Amino acid sequence: MSPCWNKRESPDRAVVHMHPVSARFSDQLIAVLPRLRRFAAGLSRSATEADDLVQAACERALAREHQFQEGTRFDSWMFRIVQTIWIDQLRARDVRKEDGDIAEERLGTDEPVRRVEARLALAEARRAIALLPPDQRATLMLVTVEGLSYKQAADVAGVPVGTIMSRLARARIALQQLIDAGAGGRRSTKDAEA
Amino acid sequence: MQKHSDEALVAYLDGELDSGERADVETWLDAEPAARDRLLALAESATLLRGAFDEIVHEPVPERLIAAARGQTHGTADGFEAEIVPLRPRRGDVKLSLWRRWQPGFALAAGLAGLIIGGGLTYYGNGMLVPSSRPAGQVQTASINSWLDNAAGNYKLIVNAGGPPLVDIQANGDNGEALQKISQNLPQQVRLPDLKPWGLSFRGARFVVVEGKPAAQLVYNTDNKAIGPLALIIGSSKEPDISPTFDKRQDLNLLYWRHQGRASVLVGQTEIGWLWGIANDVAWQLDAI
Repeated sequence: MSPCWNKRESPDRAVVHMHPVSARFSDQLIAVLPRLRRFAAGLSRSATEADDLVQAACERALAREHQFQEGTRFDSWMFRIVQTIWIDQLRARDVRKEDGDIAEERLGTDEPVRRVEARLALAEARRAIALLPPDQRATLMLVTVEGLSYKQAADVAGVPVGTIMSRLARARIALQQLIDAGAGGRRSTKDAEA
Repeated sequence: MQKHSDEALVAYLDGELDSGERADVETWLDAEPAARDRLLALAESATLLRGAFDEIVHEPVPERLIAAARGQTHGTADGFEAEIVPLRPRRGDVKLSLWRRWQPGFALAAGLAGLIIGGGLTYYGNGMLVPSSRPAGQVQTASINSWLDNAAGNYKLIVNAGGPPLVDIQANGDNGEALQKISQNLPQQVRLPDLKPWGLSFRGARFVVVEGKPAAQLVYNTDNKAIGPLALIIGSSKEPDISPTFDKRQDLNLLYWRHQGRASVLVGQTEIGWLWGIANDVAWQLDAI
């Protein structure tokens, strides 16, 4: 009899548990993973970095399961953990320099102008958000992409609602300008060359 | 007429204004074409942004994140230690006796200790250290854990050694000669799996102990960090066959199986998908004898 390659479980299989995890808590966490990945993707510079961030958030959430208050929004609690870890990581790096480098590199590219193609437009939007300051990036992701209310976003970020409003307004205006500049600016250059 | 700020315009789009504020903004929009254009542009950029991140929520979630959500990953952010527990104990509620704690920073010394202690436990364990009254399922689970602990220790030993590889038989380009030397030390004939299609080159072999019997640890190298270095430990076994099963020890992935009196385990930091493919290839080559 050949080994059964489709059967990946065995009655004797041992797994490694880091914490005594309640199944219900894990299920909640798994259910929100796609949105956590999306939120993290808006914060991070790469898909791998985003998934690393989500993984770290899961581990921290499991370690602090007792701190979650039943009756409050689980997704908001997780967004807050993701954002906290991300901010810690930003502080640990020389963020100002790295973000500056990214911005310079991206703004200076001679990428062909094909804004009419939808996928490129979406990529343009992803690049544009990466150019925003971290606070604005996180606020934009929470409200505009994840659909949190200003109050919920304020709770996640730990700032007053007024701060969310002003960050969001600045972020939305900047985003629109970046998207327009991404297409229009290069188009102007190309027109001038022609 | 009051001119509104960008904040009010954005909040209007987000539905965050009360009815009075909303009416004010709408009056302004009716009177100011430029404000309407601005509102439209803001709405478009928001739609574009949502679309830009929409794909991600429809992608399959990586296995490692699901494992993390289940608390089955290593190296937590808060420094918890791993404990190995049975997923489905076979009998009763008697706790598994062989629990191991893996300390962070498991390195060469720990690898060496794992080799000696784990190997010794395996060598004597089945007959002497394990009480005969223990249910067979638990003995088997403990035996597998010991086997895997030992395999992980052996892997760490050889990978963390640095300098000249700690192998008993050095690869010298003539795999036939290496195979002959390996076979002389094993109770049954083995084949040296050719893993070149995976970019893995045979580096050498060490002799270890698995389930109380001599076994060979074959070491493969590659420049591809997603795959190697990789170790394949092949020994003989009188235990029942086991289908290929995945397990972890710290940052190591292990895939093990028993088939027709032969116990095999692949060990490495190899991504799981690669590990399954390589294991399939190895099993096919070993069974082709």
